[in-house]
Amino acid sequence: MNSSIFPNFWRFLGLILGQGLLLKQAVQTVGSAYFNVILYPIFILLLPVQLAAPYLVLLGFAVGISVDMFYQTPGVHASAGAFAGFIRGLVFAAFAPKGGFNAKDPIFAPQYVSWQTFLSVSGVFFFLFLFWYHSVEAFTFVYFASIVLKTVSSWSVTMIFVILYAALFNPKQ
Amino acid sequence: MGRLLQLLLRNGGFVTLVFVELFCFMLIVNYNTSQAVIWANTTDIFGGRLMERRQRVSDYFSLQERADSLANVVDSLQERLAYARYVQVPVRDTFYRVTYDSLTGSDSIRRKYVRPLYEYVSARVVENSVTSVNNWLLINRGKNDRVEPHTAVVTPDGVVGIVRHVSDNFSIVMSVLHSQTRITASVEGTGAFGSLEWDGNNPEVMSLRNISKHFKDKILPGARVVTSGYSLMFPRDIPVGIVEALPTEDSENPHFLEVKVRLGQSMSDVNDVSVVRNLFSPEIDSLKSKIKR
Repeated sequence: MNSSIFPNFWRFLGLILGQGLLLKQAVQTVGSAYFNVILYPIFILLLPVQLAAPYLVLLGFAVGISVDMFYQTPGVHASAGAFAGFIRGLVFAAFAPKGGFNAKDPIFAPQYVSWQTFLSVSGVFFFLFLFWYHSVEAFTFVYFASIVLKTVSSWSVTMIFVILYAALFNPKQ
Repeated sequence: MGRLLQLLLRNGGFVTLVFVELFCFMLIVNYNTSQAVIWANTTDIFGGRLMERRQRVSDYFSLQERADSLANVVDSLQERLAYARYVQVPVRDTFYRVTYDSLTGSDSIRRKYVRPLYEYVSARVVENSVTSVNNWLLINRGKNDRVEPHTAVVTPDGVVGIVRHVSDNFSIVMSVLHSQTRITASVEGTGAFGSLEWDGNNPEVMSLRNISKHFKDKILPGARVVTSGYSLMFPRDIPVGIVEALPTEDSENPHFLEVKVRLGQSMSDVNDVSVVRNLFSPEIDSLKSKIKR
């Protein structure tokens, strides 16, 4: 467990800076609300498989509030991050093999689980995360259609970045 | 307790999420303009609806009270109407009102002419006292409102006093709680009448004095006391209060009885009043002056 602290810390830092400086800038350059890449929840997805749910929620909150500082939206990403921390366990439970993931798979990465499982789990995980994020951002279900449309469009773009991240960095710990 | 702990540990993720989300919600509505606006509108709408419903419920439960209050107003108006028609006299020929009766095809002549005896002028109490032996009130009506000295001041619940001094826009009223106040009042249904006076002690209770002794068994606690009508100032049957205790021998004149009367109108809580002006008092005064000569 201790050996995984530093990789996760650097991932935490890298994803926050990448989200706050690069992806935010890229989205602003394109200038469309429907083209929104939110990659930082992959930090939550790649946290140790055995980590207890309350820690996941708190770490999700931490990464979200850090991103909020770049976006100047206090609470919005923090709420979505905490939600992502909570649902990770539920999504894992839905896709885990019999007996669940175990200590042999330190993190949920294509290195340990198949690409197919990784894509299925991350697909559902990011969809739920993005739906929550866009709902909190809109703050009313009056714009439900717009929320769903933004979720679908941003999910499509984000998943490309998730695959690129997993392929390029090939996280092991 | 152990089960509760187990439940918390088992659902630790959910419990943490609830707390974290509440904190995030607080951040969102306090530091994000668009979400704050939506939240404010939502709370306004629901808050407004809630207040409206609460008001409706409150109105519903106070209906009885309002009905009673309206009934009192109706009673008071009927009373005024009755006394407004107190004097009905045949009019002179030149005042006959001739109306055409379409059923008989003939002219009919009304031989009655309704002439009011009293005029009511509504007023508001500006100043009031109840703590001295001689108490006064100041009301916001004066000469310009046709208020004159020696006119009565009443409310639907009881008598308030007598106008003594008048300026253009204000009048000073001698309260019933004044050592010189003498109002003729009677115990309803008995025919017993006397002079209503205040002994300077309890501002809620006055004494009805100089009642003939043969009314001793007829006056019972709880009976209504009203103005007798043997006065130019106060119309008949204006409520005064209720008999508080059985009559006793008058302390100043043992040949008569005395009754304690609890006032209907609390003098420490009097706001809206009516000044009752007898429209014929100048004429009657002039007539009386001839006897004095």
